[in-house]
Amino acid sequence: MKGTKISQHVFRGILATICVCSLIFFTGTPSLAGPEVVKIGNIIPLSGPSASVGQQGKQAREMAVEEINAAGGIKSLGGAKLEMLYADSESKPEKGVAEAERFINTEGVHVLTGCWNSAVTYPTTAVAERYGIPFVVPVSVADKITEQGFKTVFRIAAKDSWWTRDQFAFLADMEKEFNTKVKKLAFVYENGDWGKGFAGQWKELAKKGGYEVVLDEPYPSTATDLSPVVQKIRRAKPDVLMLVSNAADAILLTNTLAEYKVKLKAIIASGGGHADPSFLKAAGKNARYIFDIVEWETDVNKPGAKEANAKYKAKYGENLTGEAVDAYLATYVLKDALERAGSLDPAKIREALATTNLRSGPGMIVGYSAVEFDKTGQNEHAALVIVQINDIGSGMERITVWPKEARRAGYTPVFPMP
Amino acid sequence: MGEQMTRQNLQISSLLLVGIITFGLPLVLRSPTYLHILILLYLYAYLTSSWNLVGGFAGVLPLGHAAFVGIGAYSSTILYLQYGISPWLGMIVGGILAAIVGIIIGLPTFKMRGAYFALATIAFGEGIRVMVENIDYLGPFNLNGPRGLQIPPRNVGLTNLMFTTKEPYYYIILIMLVAVLALTYFISRSKLGYYLNAGGEEPEAAMSLGVNVARCKLIAMAMSSFLTALAGTFYAQFTLFIHPKSIISLDLSFEIAFIALIGGRGSIAGPVLGALLLRPVSDFSRIYFGATLPGLHLIIFGTVLVLVMIYQPRGLQEPLTRVYHKLLYRLIPEPAGTE
Amino acid sequence: MNYIIEGLINGILMGSIYGLTALGLTIIFGVLKVINFAHGSLLMVGMYVAYWAVSLSGLHPYLTLVVVVPVMYLFGYYLQDIVIKPIFKAEREVREPITVIIVTTGVWYILDNLTLLVFGPQYRSIQDNPLRGKMLEFGEMLISVPKLWGFFAAIITAGSVYWFLQKTRTGRAIRATSLDRDAASLMGIKQYRVYNIAFGIGTATAGIAGVTLVPFYNVFPTVGVLFDIKGFIIVVLGGLGSIGGAILGGIIIGLIESVGPQFMAATWTEAIVYGLFLLVLFVKPSGLFGVRYDW
Repeated sequence: MKGTKISQHVFRGILATICVCSLIFFTGTPSLAGPEVVKIGNIIPLSGPSASVGQQGKQAREMAVEEINAAGGIKSLGGAKLEMLYADSESKPEKGVAEAERFINTEGVHVLTGCWNSAVTYPTTAVAERYGIPFVVPVSVADKITEQGFKTVFRIAAKDSWWTRDQFAFLADMEKEFNTKVKKLAFVYENGDWGKGFAGQWKELAKKGGYEVVLDEPYPSTATDLSPVVQKIRRAKPDVLMLVSNAADAILLTNTLAEYKVKLKAIIASGGGHADPSFLKAAGKNARYIFDIVEWETDVNKPGAKEANAKYKAKYGENLTGEAVDAYLATYVLKDALERAGSLDPAKIREALATTNLRSGPGMIVGYSAVEFDKTGQNEHAALVIVQINDIGSGMERITVWPKEARRAGYTPVFPMP
Repeated sequence: MGEQMTRQNLQISSLLLVGIITFGLPLVLRSPTYLHILILLYLYAYLTSSWNLVGGFAGVLPLGHAAFVGIGAYSSTILYLQYGISPWLGMIVGGILAAIVGIIIGLPTFKMRGAYFALATIAFGEGIRVMVENIDYLGPFNLNGPRGLQIPPRNVGLTNLMFTTKEPYYYIILIMLVAVLALTYFISRSKLGYYLNAGGEEPEAAMSLGVNVARCKLIAMAMSSFLTALAGTFYAQFTLFIHPKSIISLDLSFEIAFIALIGGRGSIAGPVLGALLLRPVSDFSRIYFGATLPGLHLIIFGTVLVLVMIYQPRGLQEPLTRVYHKLLYRLIPEPAGTE
Repeated sequence: MNYIIEGLINGILMGSIYGLTALGLTIIFGVLKVINFAHGSLLMVGMYVAYWAVSLSGLHPYLTLVVVVPVMYLFGYYLQDIVIKPIFKAEREVREPITVIIVTTGVWYILDNLTLLVFGPQYRSIQDNPLRGKMLEFGEMLISVPKLWGFFAAIITAGSVYWFLQKTRTGRAIRATSLDRDAASLMGIKQYRVYNIAFGIGTATAGIAGVTLVPFYNVFPTVGVLFDIKGFIIVVLGGLGSIGGAILGGIIIGLIESVGPQFMAATWTEAIVYGLFLLVLFVKPSGLFGVRYDW
């Protein structure tokens, strides 16, 4: 091996960098002395396939923290400010676990939040439980997360069994309201944890509701061409199509459905990909009349909702989404709990969280009335809304249609699809 | 002669020193985070060293080893969750299963040339992942498809390979690592190692000399897959959650192979060195940049890969070994007249 | 029955596009004897270039080829020249430099994440392009117009590259180098220049494939990954270095993906594709149309 000058230098450079990095890394970052600070560790996907959603969660949290800190921080802790630390889970469970360990042990966070991907949330909450650090889950719908018997997990969003239950309740309501009978259902879903979970519940609910399932089609979320799936849908001739999709496939599926001129009475999506801001932009007209179920929508009839959305839009260029709102609310729930706890002791924070009864405040822009956690850490009041995508004069938008009380004034949902 | 013995003594004593430091570290380093990082580091060093048996000694480029990690992890987890069998036993079962699969894979693929072999292993790895993702039940065994399997943290203890603190895990993986390195050392000095080396460089010549190259490669593959599966069980017991995308992923297969290649495959120290140098880079850049500039850590990782391959294609162990030898010779100057 | 025919047609159209994406891979593999793991990323770059070209100019997507092809060619040419050539030089004696595979993987990571960093994770697609969503109707069957364009683009590109390799001097030089690089350089052919050109051509075809996909597919940083593995499977199926093989291999995959789901869940077609891949590797590793190169 001829050691050319360049290669030697490059080699030494790399070696030196690695040594320096390891040194800094192992000696840790110097902590700042000063007024008390509440450290919150947030483990979310900032790269990889869920990067878009992760970004939304981060932005929402930042907005909440700015507001809280500007308003004086946590008064019962002497005006302590909230400090958000973010870690990229890359949607991988082992990274989530590693970051949780690091946050708890090296950074000394007082609370954790995260992780969006249910597969990452399971083991990460286990880490928090072991150390007794409270973990607030804004959105991660898998039922199991609050059913592990952990004492430190608190989930804001509804469980996925509630989502599916509401989707069917909505369908039944629509049938009644518009005097249209629905008999045949088609289930098309991404073949991951989320999709399969929903599909399993749908099958149960369909049986109970007396519907006929004409198609049960899991598909790979990374598919490059969904025409065969669409063809199957066409062939099965369902009345209503129910979907669980991530962003890329939601767009592809919607466009392909439009291309093949598939005629259905209704399409009900399950949030996620369909709620992603890119979806509406990319699918455009093809998304018209699709129903989607989400935690929240921009036209929810709650004080402060419009203002919060306008502020977020001005800052980040897009509307708040369900995920973002849950993250925003989660931050306010934390603030409320911290105020009541009056201490940075994790056990006290945990106690305060368990006794949360938040009914007002900037965070409560969600469609439901309160945040209260039951014994398993699930927010009992979490509710969902169904929106319809339609253009009523100012471009394609998402309009809340269900429950009826939440429906946007003056709008009648279009059912069945013309 | 006396001088030579001292040089050897120096090597052995420095090895012992490293051993003492690594075994004694948990007594000094209390923070669970650092232990966690070190455990993962040793795990990767273990994985790359096991990979080395095929990828380094046999001279081929297997890019599907994550499949064996998955086989190990799933075997022990299913046996534990459904039948209450201790993961130690499950580990062995997983290892044997992996070895069998490894031989099945190796039989047809070893006949292929480099690039084809690599692609075939990728196909196997991905094929196994797709199957596990789509199957919920394999006979009586619950694989749970993409939802993965979770091990409830009850009944901790040595029999169940589950602990609440990091230290036991640390020692287990360290012992495993030392064992693999020792095994690699002995193989490299044995006839098998010699045959593998010959078979890797000039298979036709070796075969003409009566070396059953194919059989040697298969033996190496079986060993490699067995050992890799053991790591799978360890990982499952360490993180208590497994699912196909994380355990049987192409990323993992690539990472193992690349760390070994960058460290220097075919050598004993290479894979370990690679893990030692690259894991911190990957973790460090994710920690410090992951939140602010998403994806930057992967850019850094990719750049390191490119640079190292351009300037040190035999792996970083080569210049480092030179430095090590220079140091050795400087401490113990050459005796006059010998060597 | 109609559905099956529709599926067949869709499979052929989509498959030819897959073949087009794999074309560059087979050229690079055939000439340089390396697996270019960055190929998916090059496709992604091509898609972004096409996307921006259309968005900024409002032209018909296929007109942007005027911009896309030269840009991608030069990109590939210099990528090979600056990043990959040094390794070839260092590993002269090795027949198949494995380290190049690693370098291309590094390039893949860098390209994908640089794009993520600069352009963000959003999914983009061209809104008002004339091809979007257009379908031809034949009775009950619907055929996608952008895919039809893609089919023709694939055939024309494959044909042009084939003609180039057979009839022009440079093309012959490339073929000579791929058969036996030492002999070729003895004949006066500049080995590394041939490599650069081959890489440039491979990348340019990836650019064309990108233009084909952009009218009906989303553009985002990791889009290349989906086509990467598929590309390798196609290349092996069709035979390394065989242009016709790449297109036909692509069509086979397209047919499996399109017709398969009529008989089973879509997720199993993935497994079938891998299974077929392995079968070909074992039974006829040189592929359906490959020639046994001595390497």
